[in-house]
Amino acid sequence: MEPEALEAAELMARYCDGDVAAFHQLYAKLAPRVLAYLKGLLGERAAAEDVLQQAFIKVHEARATYVRAANPIPWIYTIAHRTCLDELRRRKRSRVRLTKDGTVATEGASQTAHAAHITGVAEGAHESEEPSAEAVAAMAALQRLPENQRQALILTKVHGRSIAEAAQIAGTTPGAIKLRAHRAYVTLRELLKRKDPAASGKELA
Amino acid sequence: MDDGTDDLRAALEAPAPPPSVALLGAVGTPARVRTRSRFGAFAAVALLGLAWPAYTLAHAALRPDLKLLPPMWVAVGAALWGLSFGLALWTALVPRRGDVLPASAVAGRVAGAAMGLLLVFAAFWTTSVPGVSARPEDLGISTLQSSWGCAKVVLEAAAPVLLIGFFALRRLLPVGARAAGIAVGAAGGAIGGLALHFICPMATAGHVLIGHVGAMIAASVAGALIFGALLDR
Repeated sequence: MEPEALEAAELMARYCDGDVAAFHQLYAKLAPRVLAYLKGLLGERAAAEDVLQQAFIKVHEARATYVRAANPIPWIYTIAHRTCLDELRRRKRSRVRLTKDGTVATEGASQTAHAAHITGVAEGAHESEEPSAEAVAAMAALQRLPENQRQALILTKVHGRSIAEAAQIAGTTPGAIKLRAHRAYVTLRELLKRKDPAASGKELA
Repeated sequence: MDDGTDDLRAALEAPAPPPSVALLGAVGTPARVRTRSRFGAFAAVALLGLAWPAYTLAHAALRPDLKLLPPMWVAVGAALWGLSFGLALWTALVPRRGDVLPASAVAGRVAGAAMGLLLVFAAFWTTSVPGVSARPEDLGISTLQSSWGCAKVVLEAAAPVLLIGFFALRRLLPVGARAAGIAVGAAGGAIGGLALHFICPMATAGHVLIGHVGAMIAASVAGALIFGALLDR
């Protein structure tokens, strides 16, 4: 196991033994990466922060199912991913209701705000620096990819997780992850090329 | 050359907020918990799953042609059914060393391969002893009619394996619950098939394909549907 995984496994074992400081260390170590992963899947920081908190509550509730000495990082990503899927399904249901009667235009947003209130995420917690135009374009292109390709791309190309780990997180085979990540990578490059006038000009010339 | 992943990294990277009030409230002063062992679920499901076929083998009459059949065929058949049970269940329930969750996708593929091998075995290598082995036509029934009783035996053997497997995986928050269901259902079906290998007197390819392997496939489909509906939420 890599040093990072060993350290996480040790923290998780201490946390399962009742050490609250180990939980805080584990959170500090993994939350930024899990948040980045969720932000890539959901496309917005506020919702990602809310799902992050929910995911760590689920990790706490499921800690008895942890296997000692195992790498908890893919497991925590998996739980975060499941929580994210639940959020996406909830949003979809909100949209369906919206199109049926048209009177609950802010339902999805208010539910997220309500959930954020419940989980105690501070309103200003997601304020950060203005992102660059390239970063905005990359995020917009990412949101156009199918969910499973987005997941594979973020895990392998952005977060640098191994193919085996990414497959474990997604609950699929390494071959499927490789294929999804490759397709996502090709589509992302295409989309970004199209948005870049300089690149388009070079191609035309 | 910039391929967009650096921009993505820049867009996604940000400090995480501190644990929320709700999260801190949930964690509180955490109690010491007994964690899961890698092999516990497998041992429980395998032992309880084996109980029914063991009882059946102990109480039912063995097939009359068993001693006359080629020993190699009997051994290969038993090994195929037994390994299908063991491997499908192992991959569905035992995480690899260093992992927390079992690799469901791999388990589904292992179960698929096992079912494929058993289909080939039943279709191309069914052996009989003329005059001793039974055939549906000798009893005046169709292959389908003769298969029903054996299919029931396979499904009865698969049911407890599916049930205990479901409870073993219920709290794991698994991904790929359908694939796990395929593997656990196939394992249950395989243990029924193993018992039938020694007790079923019918020795025609059609009967074994439908009543034994077909029922195993039905059990794996049932596993996929049940696990998919109840665990993959």
